[in-house]
Amino acid sequence: MKQFLAVFFMGFKYLWRNPLTVSVIICFPIVFILILGNALSSYITPVLDFEPLHIMYVTDNEESMFAEFLKTEDISRFLDIEITDEAQAVQSVTDNDICVAIFEKNGEISIIKSSVSSVGTSVVLAVIDSYIQVSAAAEIAIANGANPFEVFRAINSEFAVDAVPLGNRVPNAMDYYAVTMLVYIMLLAGMNGLELFNKSLISDTGRRIMTAPVSKSTLICGLVAASTLTSFLQGMITFVFTALVYGVYWGERIPLVLVTLFAVVLLSQALCIFLILLFNNPGPPVAIIQATFFITTFVSGGYAKISFGGAADKVLAYAPNALAHTVIFGAIFGGNEGRMMFSLALLFALAIVFFVLAFFVGRRKLA
Amino acid sequence: MIVSMKDIVKRYQSHTALDHLNLSVNQGESIGLLGPNGAGKTTAIRVLTGLTGADSGEVMLFDSPMKENAADIKKRLGVVPQDLALYETLSARDNLEFFGKLYGIKGAELKTRVDETLEILGLTDVAKKAPKKFSGGMKRRLNIGCAVIHKPELLILDEPTVGIDPQSRNHILDFVVDINKKGTTVLYTSHYMEEIEKVCSRVCIMDSGNVIADGSVEEITRSVIFEEVIYLEVKEPSPSLPENIKKIQGVKSCDVDGRNLTIISKSDSQNLARILEVATPFIILGVSANRPTLEDAFLSLTGKKLRDGDA
Repeated sequence: MKQFLAVFFMGFKYLWRNPLTVSVIICFPIVFILILGNALSSYITPVLDFEPLHIMYVTDNEESMFAEFLKTEDISRFLDIEITDEAQAVQSVTDNDICVAIFEKNGEISIIKSSVSSVGTSVVLAVIDSYIQVSAAAEIAIANGANPFEVFRAINSEFAVDAVPLGNRVPNAMDYYAVTMLVYIMLLAGMNGLELFNKSLISDTGRRIMTAPVSKSTLICGLVAASTLTSFLQGMITFVFTALVYGVYWGERIPLVLVTLFAVVLLSQALCIFLILLFNNPGPPVAIIQATFFITTFVSGGYAKISFGGAADKVLAYAPNALAHTVIFGAIFGGNEGRMMFSLALLFALAIVFFVLAFFVGRRKLA
Repeated sequence: MIVSMKDIVKRYQSHTALDHLNLSVNQGESIGLLGPNGAGKTTAIRVLTGLTGADSGEVMLFDSPMKENAADIKKRLGVVPQDLALYETLSARDNLEFFGKLYGIKGAELKTRVDETLEILGLTDVAKKAPKKFSGGMKRRLNIGCAVIHKPELLILDEPTVGIDPQSRNHILDFVVDINKKGTTVLYTSHYMEEIEKVCSRVCIMDSGNVIADGSVEEITRSVIFEEVIYLEVKEPSPSLPENIKKIQGVKSCDVDGRNLTIISKSDSQNLARILEVATPFIILGVSANRPTLEDAFLSLTGKKLRDGDA
């Protein structure tokens, strides 16, 4: 136990004294959410000080969800939307009278843009992007048992409005985005410890440590504990930041949300330690983890929901992101309790599986 | 006996790194391990410290088999690896404390040991600084400090002075000599013959995975190098002078080139005095002798120069 604590405290100190690690731990999630989250936050709208941008909108259904979305007060603050026909819209863009025209046909959204105003195009793209986020949020909410009618009503009435803790609350865009990004960041958090793992297990320092009377399991456990705590603190920073700065609603079951984040962090650490022991090199784990969780974030509805249909969707429902989303959205907005607990248990089980694999590989590969 | 390696074989696929190696170290000894690149020194140390297992043979440390009592044995072992094994962003004190704790030292004793070690290694003033700001010599000293914080009975140093300034090197050598005098057994590998001669009472030369020479520096050179060359410069030497020198027992040849004489003699014959006695009637302008060195012995035994070929 004393050796475990020695390794743990050393690892924790090492991580927090490394300027690069600290900047990644503190700044990365905040910058990440600041940059991408601004597209969704109502907090930026008051600082937009310009005349509404005149654009044209061509639709085959003026009562569609997207049409309703464009009519909301927040959108009309910066977009002056004229509903027209396709020929006039195309002509206006061609003549550079307007910078962008939006087309909605059979539920699919597209734009044509002029070459004169890239800023105007960016604003319109940001609005469409926000709509996609809201749609994904709705999909998740419905999948977790929310009333579809309430969801669509809320989307049309509450977009970019501060969270209101209603009993049957559904996520607004920022609530949704905060959860998916926090899960994504926590899944990447295992990489915080890779340098420590490499130093203490693989490098010359690691070999030197193995000449001391410390067991491999004690060493691995101490390092993982240090990295897990560090990453969990990173998650807490992000959690508090989103709650205070963006007013993200994290619900009333905060302990369950935090336990889920802990499970995600643990899984990430387990995967990292397994991969670094397998490859004897921190390079492949970084590549594998970044690629894997980028993909699973997308397929789990992290940014824009991607559906592969059929069996693929059923399998991908067990991706770590999807499991964490099920528990957290369920905890915040009310989901199927059994499904939530099953997802949480599966996250812990996956973490244990990778730890067991890590110990197995470590026994063979470490001195 | 502190170390006993009997008939150790270690293979890496088709390459035999240790080929029935036998090595023993007695308590209190300071033994130098020399060998060209690929001789098996590093593998021997890895097997000795438990970093890798032997394919066959028996490793005993402190009269106990390494396989069965690794944890207990490691507590009595201090290892200074060739490459720095430090946490560069932690302070010198943090590094020493961490390694001390790994060896079970705690509380007030740990603080005392850390303070002592910093003092001995001349690092007290920089105790709170991170090694990344240290000079190469200071890092090396801290590297050694981490290996001796628990006062090991056997200290293994693998080229501990690579790439440092002469002042730090002398500091380290004096420290190793001192710790050996206080009773710690030392196993030392180095590229530098003068370090081995200063630190070690016994030398083992390894080649092709085995020990090919074992003894004091003098014993090894005598056993390997059988001749020494004596140069004599004499004013107007007579033809009889080389003839008289050749008559001295142990002198193999004496060639004359003007007033210079080149004499080849048995290395352990101590013939220099006798040659000077024969040359006394003449005016001796100069005399020098090339006595065999450990470097010569190494070259003779392995066919390789130590600093060019060793790693």
